[in-house]
Amino acid sequence: MLWSQPIGWTSRRHPGTHGGKMRSFLPPVAEQVFRDIQKTYEETTQIPDDLLIALKFVFGPCALQALDLVDQRSVTCLSSPSGREAFQVMGGSGRLYTCFVSCHYCPCPAFAYTVLRRNEGLLCKHILAVYLCQAMGVTQQESVSDQQMSTLLCGSADADA
Amino acid sequence: MAEFLTLVFRTFMSESGLKKTTTPGPPPPTAAGSTLLVGHRGTSRSVLLLAAVTAASELGTRLCRPDNSTHLNYFLCLQKIVFSYPRTVEELLQQVARLHESTNTTPPALIVVDGLEDFLCAPGRHPGEQSRAAHLSALLCDTATFFTQVLKQRSSSSAPCRILASFYSDTDPGQADGEASATDAMLNVLDRYFQVRCTLDQDRGYEAAAAGLQELWHVYLSGRGVTDDKLGGSQEWQLLVFPNGSVEFKLV
Repeated sequence: MLWSQPIGWTSRRHPGTHGGKMRSFLPPVAEQVFRDIQKTYEETTQIPDDLLIALKFVFGPCALQALDLVDQRSVTCLSSPSGREAFQVMGGSGRLYTCFVSCHYCPCPAFAYTVLRRNEGLLCKHILAVYLCQAMGVTQQESVSDQQMSTLLCGSADADA
Repeated sequence: MAEFLTLVFRTFMSESGLKKTTTPGPPPPTAAGSTLLVGHRGTSRSVLLLAAVTAASELGTRLCRPDNSTHLNYFLCLQKIVFSYPRTVEELLQQVARLHESTNTTPPALIVVDGLEDFLCAPGRHPGEQSRAAHLSALLCDTATFFTQVLKQRSSSSAPCRILASFYSDTDPGQADGEASATDAMLNVLDRYFQVRCTLDQDRGYEAAAAGLQELWHVYLSGRGVTDDKLGGSQEWQLLVFPNGSVEFKLV
């Protein structure tokens, strides 16, 4: 089984303060998986079986859910005139989750329960989707005003969604 | 930020402690940009925070200090500090989130939040507390990262923007009761985001009284931001409070 980019997708890498890159706070094995995905995907626009298995092994069931989000082009890198950036991920229910560029945080219930409360997972499917989109170069890009960025960062927009 | 604390410790070190130190003076700058000060609510509140902020300010750091206390009204360097007084965690989140909007002014190089527990720990158990703590911590860290980039763009030799926050509780970590476990759970979340934890623990044994001290505190520096190289191998200090009110730090 290969996981490949649907026809019509445009790979875009984004300039900005962090270059649209989430800073990694992952164990070396996870970082290696993303490096391998990036390298392989750049060459073949596909993710081979062994890397999919590695992804599932490291991240558990949320790996497939994250791939679904990548498939649906759910990850957008937002940037404002001040240079501030954040990631916005559209969940399966249509709700938008704002994730930070420099550290792991997602307002979704899975992050609160599995990662923060039970300490059983490295991250949620939304943050994993951000990492995958970066590795594959399929992050969408959108500009917002500084005020809109502030609203998103403080979570008011998430609460209203 | 831990380097400012260790600078304060070294500044108020005893002479005997100084003799034992192989590298006197401020330690080398570290990459540990976020520090959480943890102590019992009975701790002489904000003393270390005040000292570290003063040290940072004297070193030329511009400060932004969201705060809901009124203890810091005697700064010699007030002109370098922007005070703000959010009443709720929502207001605090909004104020921190808006900091990036005023990039035409000099960006802050230190953001201090005193008394996180007042924003995060309401009486009783609240299921969203941990998530809220994570959100606030992550926003603070992300904001510091952003301003570090801005400062570097303006001057390649700029120091990074740092975070210093304090968290006090009525319980001792490790106790078995519900309130203590809630505090531990909160600290576990905060430790995810703050690179260094500075824990203040009062010594209630006979040693302090026998030594003629009013109080004796153990000060532990821990976390992934603490390494032997970065903090001169000193991770534990003692804070000695004398009956005349003077304080002294001692390297353990």
